Amino acid sequence: MVSFSGSTAVAGIGATEFSKQSGRSELRLAAEAVFAALDDAGLGPSDVDGLVTYTQDANDEIAVAREVGIGDLTFFSRVHYGGGAACGTVMHAAMAVATGVAETVVCYRAFNERSGRRYGRPDPGLGGAPSSLGLEMSWHVPHGLMTPAAWVAMFARRYMHVHGATSEDFGRVAVAMRRHAATNPAAWFHDRPITLAEHQASRWIVEPLHLLDCCQESDGAVALVVTSAERARDLRRTPALITAAAQGSGAGQMMMTSYYRDDMTGLPEMGVVGRRLWEQAGFGPEDVQTAVLYDHFTPFVLVQLEELGFCGRGEARHLVADGGIEIDGRLPVNPHGGQLGEAYIHGMNGIAEAVRQVRGTAANQVADVRNVLVTAGTGVPTSGLVLSAG
Amino acid sequence: MTAANPPAGVPDPDFHERLTALAEKRMAAGEVYGEAAADPVNLPMIRHWAAAMGDANPLHTDAEAAAAGVHGEIVAPPAMIQVWTMPGLAGPAGRPESAGSPIDDVLAALDAAGYTGVVATNCEQTYDRYLRLGERPVPATRLTGLSGPKRTALGEGYFVTWNVTWYSEGERVAEMLFRVLKFHPGERKTTPDTRQPYPLGPAVNDDTAFFWEGVARGELRIQRCADCGELRHPPGPVCPSCRSAGRTYVVASGEGEVYSYVVHHNPPIPGWETPFAVAVVQLPEGVRIVGAVVDCAPAEVGIGMPLRVTYRQKDDNLILPLWVPRET
Amino acid sequence: MRTLTEDEVQVGVALPELVIDLTPTTVVSTALATMDFTPVHHDPASARAQGSKDVFLNILTTMGLVERYVTDWAGPEALIRGINVKLGVPAYAGDRLTFTGTVVGRENGEFTVEVRGRVSLGDHASGTVRVALPDR
Repeated sequence: MVSFSGSTAVAGIGATEFSKQSGRSELRLAAEAVFAALDDAGLGPSDVDGLVTYTQDANDEIAVAREVGIGDLTFFSRVHYGGGAACGTVMHAAMAVATGVAETVVCYRAFNERSGRRYGRPDPGLGGAPSSLGLEMSWHVPHGLMTPAAWVAMFARRYMHVHGATSEDFGRVAVAMRRHAATNPAAWFHDRPITLAEHQASRWIVEPLHLLDCCQESDGAVALVVTSAERARDLRRTPALITAAAQGSGAGQMMMTSYYRDDMTGLPEMGVVGRRLWEQAGFGPEDVQTAVLYDHFTPFVLVQLEELGFCGRGEARHLVADGGIEIDGRLPVNPHGGQLGEAYIHGMNGIAEAVRQVRGTAANQVADVRNVLVTAGTGVPTSGLVLSAG
Repeated sequence: MTAANPPAGVPDPDFHERLTALAEKRMAAGEVYGEAAADPVNLPMIRHWAAAMGDANPLHTDAEAAAAGVHGEIVAPPAMIQVWTMPGLAGPAGRPESAGSPIDDVLAALDAAGYTGVVATNCEQTYDRYLRLGERPVPATRLTGLSGPKRTALGEGYFVTWNVTWYSEGERVAEMLFRVLKFHPGERKTTPDTRQPYPLGPAVNDDTAFFWEGVARGELRIQRCADCGELRHPPGPVCPSCRSAGRTYVVASGEGEVYSYVVHHNPPIPGWETPFAVAVVQLPEGVRIVGAVVDCAPAEVGIGMPLRVTYRQKDDNLILPLWVPRET
Repeated sequence: MRTLTEDEVQVGVALPELVIDLTPTTVVSTALATMDFTPVHHDPASARAQGSKDVFLNILTTMGLVERYVTDWAGPEALIRGINVKLGVPAYAGDRLTFTGTVVGRENGEFTVEVRGRVSLGDHASGTVRVALPDR
């Protein structure tokens, strides 16, 4: 048992609109999301004494504090590894609260990922510097293997070969996410579902991935307020208790290119996270009513279902084909539409959705939600959460 | 590699026919003798040659050692055979190597038609015996082959092959096959001087330099722990199995097979034409390595496909180890 | 310097690597020692004018160096029967020529040695040398 389990909570969530061109600076987006989250919790800037974000976020904690009017900070921390940081920010915040280092910590992620720097574009500088990351990238980038879609496609091809999965199996994930987004007014793809035929007809990005296997690119920001469960109960909204929070990295881990481990069909780092979460929670996959699984690319949704214990190895395609991940299925996945359907805010919007599911206020509310599983970026060192109703 | 018609820009549409006819005539004429070596096989020229080559074999320069050796006297290095009958500084006009050589007018005809570039592609020598001091070899040349026009990396051109046989007092002592490509230099696709810097160069440090140095020499090097012998790719500074920082490498066989692969379509990648295939390659040595698969259609790539490494120059400084299909 | 005997050489054995730094002096002295006065082998301006980056080795030298590479290993009494070379990229002054070799065959008292001479641009020369060794 970890000390923050059940004793800390997400007390507020806030977000900007999700768009393709925010027309505002990333710092302004961050400030707007933090204001919204504080308003949601019923707290003011002076209540905040901690800030956590991603190492990839362009907005320093002190800059956000200045804009929002936060005074003294006693805790500030950053979590590494791209979208793998998402749930890790909440874990860091919960640890700070549980240890008394801080009382109220805001986690935020803000970017103009569509109108500014687009992560899906090749960045020739990736392999240019002799840092450990630059050297790691230098085994791949010179060969033109340099976009997230390409890195994931390499795993996907091996997964197809070993488990007999097909492009249509990946497509069914995209179709389900867009179906969910279609009825979520906050989603970019609100009211725009797709069919499997459209998925199959969409252009190749990197074989075996079609365009519709790839999440969208978005501008926007999300912020979360983390405080003690005790205090959260006195605030405006129903708290989402942090039942479990974990980070994970596996042996032979690399950033998106862990091709040198014995097997290429799993996500061992997500296995680490899953084992820690179930251990902390004291229950297993059968006790979550909905899951928010990181979906930057469809194939890793299948692999996550396997790594986290929702089905056996290679069996996720059957779970998906049977409608198991839809709102009325065995395990509704990403009721908000995920990053394929709602927006790509580097996983932070998925945590907000989990909070809404616990509160019972989601656009596509799953019935009788007691526990929600959330995961962060796949293919990288990652993190996860179990949030529960008080 | 074959083209039925003469290249564009050649004004004479009958050139190919005329050239072929000329070559056939010269080939039918057979062997044409040239002049004997201007200087007999001699110690000073051997000594200069051996010194320049760094060849320390005493049988070529040391009379005492040579007398005790297998030849019983000083002999010339066999690879010097052509040296004896070179025209020298006086040039072909002053001392033609092979007066009335059957190859001269074929080469001249190619020059006149715009195939002015020349690059030698093959040199094959057979030595019947080593030459002794004082011998004066005589060359005899015959045209033995003409093929083309062919499309090559240098441009369109013809391969011309001839044989030279050297005789000493009527006895054959050596023979050489020589082949050159005569090409249209204007068609050359890239020259080192105009090559753009490759935009996707790797970062290199102390831990990885051995790999890239190997690539520059046409070797695929795999890090090997100097203590426990474990192979590792990608390499790193410390052996994860035994903590040793002692590093060496083995040179991989250069064979492998596709473990997984992708075909990149979008977005465009600098330095690459889409679509292109990149694979995780499983090496028989037990490690994996990532590399683009070239010289085959991306659609032909599949898991399990046998590959062979190849080395491709990306700019003046970078060579990449890439992979091509391997016949099994 | 002793010469290897037939019994001492097995098919599959690798020859020690020979590394030759190609100084301008190497390129020029070997060209002249082989009686090759073509300007591209001794005059940098002339070499550049025809699109080369510097003076480069002539073919007679390549043949000579291949011979030396094999006799350096086999010893003075080894008899070179033939050298077949496929010519590749130019070996420019300032580059480094590295020879590697492997014994790949044995027939009728002759060994076949596969030889590769590599420079930074790739294979400068690759081919085979046939060599006879004393029987004891």
